[in-house]
Amino acid sequence: MSGTMVRGRGARIADAATYAALLPILAFFLAPILWLLSLSLRTQREVFLGAARFIPQEPTLANFTRVLTQSGFGTYLWNSVQLSTLGALGAVAIAAPAAYAFSRIRFRGRPALMMGILAVQMVSGLVVLIPLYRYMDRLGLLETHFGTMLLYISAGVPVTVWLLKIAFDAVPEVLEEAAFIDGLGRAETFVRITLPLAAPGLVSAVILNLILNWSQFLIPFIMLSRDAKWPISVAIHNFSGAATASTTQLLAAACLMSILPALIVFVVLQRLIVGALTSGAVKG
Amino acid sequence: MTARPEVTHPPRSRLGRGGPFPWLLPVGLTIALFYLIPILDALRLAFTDASLLGREARFSLDAFGAMLGSPALGTVLRNTGVYVVASVTGQMALGLVIALLVVRGERHRLPGMVAVRTIVLAAWVIPGIANGVLWQMLFSEAPFGAVNSTLRLIGLPPVAWLSDPGMAMVSVILATVWQGTAYSMILLYAALRTIDETLYEAAAVDAATPLERFWFITLPELRSALLVNAILVMVMTLNTFDVVIALTGGGPGRATEVLALHTYTTVFRGFDLAGGSVLAILLLMISMLAAIGIAAALPRGEGR
Repeated sequence: MSGTMVRGRGARIADAATYAALLPILAFFLAPILWLLSLSLRTQREVFLGAARFIPQEPTLANFTRVLTQSGFGTYLWNSVQLSTLGALGAVAIAAPAAYAFSRIRFRGRPALMMGILAVQMVSGLVVLIPLYRYMDRLGLLETHFGTMLLYISAGVPVTVWLLKIAFDAVPEVLEEAAFIDGLGRAETFVRITLPLAAPGLVSAVILNLILNWSQFLIPFIMLSRDAKWPISVAIHNFSGAATASTTQLLAAACLMSILPALIVFVVLQRLIVGALTSGAVKG
Repeated sequence: MTARPEVTHPPRSRLGRGGPFPWLLPVGLTIALFYLIPILDALRLAFTDASLLGREARFSLDAFGAMLGSPALGTVLRNTGVYVVASVTGQMALGLVIALLVVRGERHRLPGMVAVRTIVLAAWVIPGIANGVLWQMLFSEAPFGAVNSTLRLIGLPPVAWLSDPGMAMVSVILATVWQGTAYSMILLYAALRTIDETLYEAAAVDAATPLERFWFITLPELRSALLVNAILVMVMTLNTFDVVIALTGGGPGRATEVLALHTYTTVFRGFDLAGGSVLAILLLMISMLAAIGIAAALPRGEGR
């Protein structure tokens, strides 16, 4: 808008410069994923041709079928789906009441508690996982998806409290006041009025947790040593350790499969995720 | 008129039906059980001779001496410093450049800006382990490795991306920047869009050059966002070890062994629980000190 009166040759040169600057940036971000795709579609012979065969001449899906059927990646994918989903739902369920209290109830120590939760979020998993590993061992929860899921939930709770607080802040209080006047209790108002109105915020919190859980490596790596229970992150780590030059195309297919679900969810629901990330940013 | 006294009440009164405590209970329990008690326990373990294999632990200061006196720690801390400073600077600088370009593109209604945002963000949703595995294939020093075979195509000599200690650190930083930039980009993009347009219009009247506008308007307006971003990205990078373990495993030698990875190795490869707890607490203290240090530069009175 500021440039409308002087919009001429200078502006067009600036537009061209914008694209010229974006081009190498896009190449940097896109090339690794395209290379992975290229490798995963090649035969072993074409892998050895390197960059000269960027577009495979005999593209094949055999790598995917082989990894899925012979290397157990079907199971790993399913384990990841289960752990990520239950972890995300659990974190949102636990965080929601507290987020509501932080959004609506004015009580002493509220700002300090909220900052405390932010500080907790910065604690490295490594610090707490050493003792937690021992507790899980004593409770007999090592090697179980249940114990692993509990840790996924606890890892997601702090950031989820903040995301949901921001989502509840956006629900007009007037609507709740009407419910109060009608004699609804606070809990009932929360469930029947606030939660449905904050649905987009709840969904974006679930999705963000899903994506973070999908990437989770440290927790399952420490908790689960038997491969039948592994999520895909641990599986590709193990698979890459055993990979050789002649299995590069299989590793590429496995790696792409660990990326695709997160990528698809992200592209489809991008608006919600960007919204969740930026709402946190603006509020600081 | 007298029928609606409720509306004029301050929010506090509506809550006469009980305080916030039942609401806070689930999160309170989670944080106590999964964060506070373990942190205290890690602190306690650091003062013992506990090992992962369940031997009875006794009070001991040996772990501190062994960990803090170890010659490896100096190397690890230097690696961590280089890795964190370079990765955070790289992510924030590149994130800022992309955010500026995308905001400019959107202001002038240039097509393709959503696509740019999507492609950069796509790297961010990739699991850290997959990221490490992916870059290991890109940096492969076999004749068919992605980067090296491309270099050969254009007649350049190959680079020892992973076997040369110095280059290995560069490779790890590149992979980290590739994945993490999106986070800085999206936060700075949001902050850029909140800058008051009239500031730039006033600058246009004063015939300010683009560089002057960036230096005297954009950067000061972004100060809080940049600092908050620096804290978050720095803490995340300090705690990163999945990319490193998958890409170089800390090697060659200890060339890319950062503190988070060193802690992991001490506990789960060396079975030294006490030593690992010492390192974990060191990691926590470094994160906290760095976060507080950056937060001190935040402008006062903007308590949002």
